[in-house]
Amino acid sequence: MFGLLRPVAAAHLWFSRRGVRGHRPVPAVDRDLPLTVVDRRLEAVDVVSLTLASGSDLPPWEPGCHLDVRLPSGLRRQYSLCGDPADRRTYRIAVRRVGEASAQVHSSVRIGDPITVQGPRTAFPLVGAGPHVFVAGGIGITPLLPMLRASPAGYLVYCGRSLDSMPFLDELADLRDRVRVLTGIPSAEEILSSAPAGASVYACGPPPMLDAVRAAWSGPVHFERFSPPPIVDGDPFEVQLGAGGPVVPVSGVESALTALRRVRPETVYSCGQGFCGTCRVRVLSTDDTFLPCTERATGRVVLDL
Amino acid sequence: MSEPNLVLAPRDVAFDWSAVPAHWVPGEPLVTHVMNTLHLVLPEGERWFVEVFGQALPHIRDERLRQDVIGFIGQEAVHAEAHQGAADHLAAQGMNPQPFIDQVSWLFRTLLGHRDLPAAVRHQWLLERLALIAAIEHFTAVLGRWVLEAPLESAGADPTMVDLLRWHGAEEVEHRSVAYDLYMHLDGRWSRRVRAMVVAGPVLGWLFARSARWLMANDPQRPGGPRLRDARRAARRGLLPSLPALLRATWRYLPPSYHPSADGGTEAAVAYLATSPAARAAAR
Ligand SMILES: Cc1cc2nc3c(=O)[nH]c(=O)nc-3n(C[C@H](O)[C@H](O)[C@H](O)COP(=O)(O)OP(=O)(O)OC[C@H]3O[C@@H](n4cnc5c(N)ncnc54)[C@H](O)[C@@H]3O)c2cc1C
Ligand code: FES
Ligand SMILES: [Fe+2]
Ligand SMILES: [Fe+2]
Repeated sequence: MFGLLRPVAAAHLWFSRRGVRGHRPVPAVDRDLPLTVVDRRLEAVDVVSLTLASGSDLPPWEPGCHLDVRLPSGLRRQYSLCGDPADRRTYRIAVRRVGEASAQVHSSVRIGDPITVQGPRTAFPLVGAGPHVFVAGGIGITPLLPMLRASPAGYLVYCGRSLDSMPFLDELADLRDRVRVLTGIPSAEEILSSAPAGASVYACGPPPMLDAVRAAWSGPVHFERFSPPPIVDGDPFEVQLGAGGPVVPVSGVESALTALRRVRPETVYSCGQGFCGTCRVRVLSTDDTFLPCTERATGRVVLDL
Repeated sequence: MSEPNLVLAPRDVAFDWSAVPAHWVPGEPLVTHVMNTLHLVLPEGERWFVEVFGQALPHIRDERLRQDVIGFIGQEAVHAEAHQGAADHLAAQGMNPQPFIDQVSWLFRTLLGHRDLPAAVRHQWLLERLALIAAIEHFTAVLGRWVLEAPLESAGADPTMVDLLRWHGAEEVEHRSVAYDLYMHLDGRWSRRVRAMVVAGPVLGWLFARSARWLMANDPQRPGGPRLRDARRAARRGLLPSLPALLRATWRYLPPSYHPSADGGTEAAVAYLATSPAARAAAR
């Protein structure tokens, strides 16, 4: 009965032949935003904020958006926008010193320096009328700061190791009646104790905090991770770096990316969570690709490296 | 929120079909089977999307669109497998859908599959199919928005099936611009876009009608043939999308200035995904 569709396909084929004329080459689209660092502040112990501008209006963003930042060394990392979305002239990000890229931001990015970014993009949009409860752990405050301003009745629970490690406490002063600050390692029950039933929870912070909050809240939970969740029970496998290349074993508690970086420290990656595509590599002698940060294989996978 | 900023990522969902009854909208065999149609058509259809988008990938000259296309491919691949699970469940309930699926498979793999053509024509054949996918994706987004709001619970529909449809619908809404943007990036000729819609609209309608008829006829409980009257009644109750609404949506696709972001729906989609049992269990 589907044979009826043969003439339809034939027509498309006919149009394919005819379409050769009038074909135009695809123009390359440049997504790079060349910006300049116009301000740099120490916001807390080990946290520095950068204000970036280009001299003209920047692409719009909503609370929860992040930038893909290219450091002069070539490293790419994501940083959440923590300024005011209504300010179309500048972007602000805040960076905690953790490892290689963030250390470069702290040690070598100065006012007046050029910096290239892409974005903004979001995997953490603020939706609905609320009530919204925001749960921040440490540097996880960055996406939630503009969310709190965007949600007039929103409530923030801001957790940190100690007050001097928590950025932006000063900026929250005028919102004091909508903010609760907790230090140490509070339990999920304590964090959520003032959340009204039916609230949508927005959480960003260290993995144990996110796991606890997600498990404790039965209503809607939106969350963002700055670092990949720990791998606990993966199956071990092997990656080979090119035909005849070295074989790297991947244990059940690590990603292929972690294993690759042991032998090839220069392996590029960015989000570590499978959404930015930076780490993608081709699987040899197939059309398939492989994401070392999240994908697993069985047996051995031979990569085009 | 301005829609195009959303990052797309697949959610590795799993569904347990064992407790889903044959007529999962109680007393509504027609509604059940019209929606079951998705399980027969989508696995092969969405695998075809994945295949065609994979062929388009090397031609993309926009880093951001490339990321979107990769996210799209990931989401559609999971959709195909999820509906496959539901199709296998139909088979386990004594309704063997394989003869019908074989035809769908022939449609996508042979009729719309790879053709041995001179390189320049082969590229145009790729563009034709991308235009078709953009048109089909217009309907999946329309249906996605519809299913997020349809009063399925109050009709007693099975919660697992409702979650499958809504999770899928929500991701269709999330990625509704990708196929359109990809077509516009690689070709963009308006005549081809409109022509693809003129074909895709009626063919999809025909395909779904055939599939629903086939399911009704092969249902071991013998619910009788599908009647237009029953479909209209179900549409009035909100349990099926209405034909006038689908025609209006088709019309909206035609102007040269159309862009899918204008249709909205992302808020409802994101909100649903934060409560969907399958999406929550899949979140890492
Ligand atoms: C969507 C998104 C938004 C982000 N927003 C911000 C932001 O606003 N501010 C910010 O400082 N960072 C943010 N990050 C994290 C940032 O992109 C980098 O991962 C971080 O700066 C570490 O990079 P690095 O090169 O310094 O460390 P690496 O050498 O890459 O990593 C060192 C180790 O630290 C872990 N790690 C990464 N981030 C943290 C953390 N916050 N706390 C503890 N361990 C961590 C990594 O998993 C790794 O094991 C965001 C990440 C994502 C995916
Ligand atoms: S590092 Fe982002 S996808 Fe692998
Ligand atoms: Fe889909
Ligand atoms: Fe889709």
